[in-house]
Amino acid sequence: MKILEGKGVSKSFGGLKAVSDVEFYVEEGEILGLIGPNGAGKTTFFNLLSGALPMDSGTVLFGGQKISGLKPNQICRAGMGRTFQAAKNFPGMAVYGNVMMGALFGKPGRSASEAEQITDEVLDFVGLTEYKDKMVTDIPLSAQKQLEVARALATRPKLLLLDEVMAGLNPTEVEDAMKLILRIRDSGITVIMIEHVMRAIMTICDRILVLHHGAKIAEGTPQEISTSKTVIEIYLGES
Amino acid sequence: MITVLNIIITGLIMGGIYALISMGLSLQYGVAKILNVSHGEFIMIAAMLTWVFVGLGIHPLLALVLCCPFTFCVGFLLHITIFRWLNINSGTAAAYESNAMLLCFGLYFIFSNIAMQIWGSNPVGFQFMEKSVNLGGAIIAVNKIIVLIIALAVSILFYLFLSHSRLGKSIRAASQDPVAAGMLGMNIKKIMAICFGIGAVLAGIAGTLISMYSQVNTGMGMGYTMIALIVVVLGGMGSIPGSMIGGMILGFVGSIFGYIEPSLSMVAYYLIILVLLLVKPKGLMGR
Repeated sequence: MKILEGKGVSKSFGGLKAVSDVEFYVEEGEILGLIGPNGAGKTTFFNLLSGALPMDSGTVLFGGQKISGLKPNQICRAGMGRTFQAAKNFPGMAVYGNVMMGALFGKPGRSASEAEQITDEVLDFVGLTEYKDKMVTDIPLSAQKQLEVARALATRPKLLLLDEVMAGLNPTEVEDAMKLILRIRDSGITVIMIEHVMRAIMTICDRILVLHHGAKIAEGTPQEISTSKTVIEIYLGES
Repeated sequence: MITVLNIIITGLIMGGIYALISMGLSLQYGVAKILNVSHGEFIMIAAMLTWVFVGLGIHPLLALVLCCPFTFCVGFLLHITIFRWLNINSGTAAAYESNAMLLCFGLYFIFSNIAMQIWGSNPVGFQFMEKSVNLGGAIIAVNKIIVLIIALAVSILFYLFLSHSRLGKSIRAASQDPVAAGMLGMNIKKIMAICFGIGAVLAGIAGTLISMYSQVNTGMGMGYTMIALIVVVLGGMGSIPGSMIGGMILGFVGSIFGYIEPSLSMVAYYLIILVLLLVKPKGLMGR
């Protein structure tokens, strides 16, 4: 079943076409990788899906419901969580408080005790329990990245958008992040991830979508993408 | 010794009022991104309304309660109408911030001139618990003590509201990162409008309290706006505890200079800001 599908998704900034006429789908329970050179429009694409930016044209269906045109909080409550490339956590709160925000507001009418329970579960799930009373500014980068994921998970999403959660991590931490993403998928959450760490993308993604200059230029299994002539050309230059 | 006691008590009262006003301005700027230079007009309107209510035979404390929903509605409605329209029509966040400040200048002229048309510009006042009590030698009017208690109680309640209530938590989250807060299911536009309304309520409470112990007039607003701006810079932009501490500091400075040479108190305020900006440019509690 397709959990998310979109047609003609476009966004321009002035004369620049950041995302142009992208058609895509995401199967429920899969991990979809989103790759492309810097400036390809990957983060803008996430911003359009999550409602942070209004799209110029196109429609997106989430579980059969039209979500294009909704506000970010409505899309969140429909079941889409996301993380940000540059960690956008709340610096004035402890790790626990940050995750609590997602748990409290992610779905309407959650009681404080339910939210606390979700927060504890999520902190345990991503392995942040030891840091829960620390301020965000006092924890290492890898933990800040995990916190982004934890906060989005606390909203209890059906679909999770991950924007470069492995950027800046060392190989061991990348390994842990890969395991975490697989565990998230195994818990029943569909994942779309933007990533530059090719080893991770090629290992854990079921399918990959390649953007270049805002347009979709390729789509397929890691095997197909890694042997695709167009993809190799845009990454390595024409031979 | 008695003089010192007098200065301390007067400082506490002025500080309490300044803290209330500044917390309102800080909230409006910190969350709704509006530098509300018409803030003082909400103080003035509530003060004049209280005077009108008392003239109709309503008890001042009841007038205080009546003014709260009124000022909240004015603030909230202003935000969901003209400020939201302005936000949609300003291209960037920075453009919106400067446009919103200009709009507040317009509101300042509109409010103060309408008030002057209705009530004139003469000082007005009413009698409220004017009996004095002797506190360890210092002679203080009862009304000032009531004002101090209410100002402190409202400040503490407001702080608890921000730190403990669900809405308060969403306000803090929205002030720290509105985009992330929206993505976690919070309705940012509604939160901003509520913050602007709460800011107006805090100004209104201050206005009613001021009218309880001193005369008021339709031109009183801008002076308090200036004080609130100084306190917000002193305490750190958008920091609520900073506004409380800054308000108290300014209250004490005003009280000390009110005793020595009242005309120098404004000079002292600006001198403090000057030194602070040189030593700690982000304010006492600024991040």
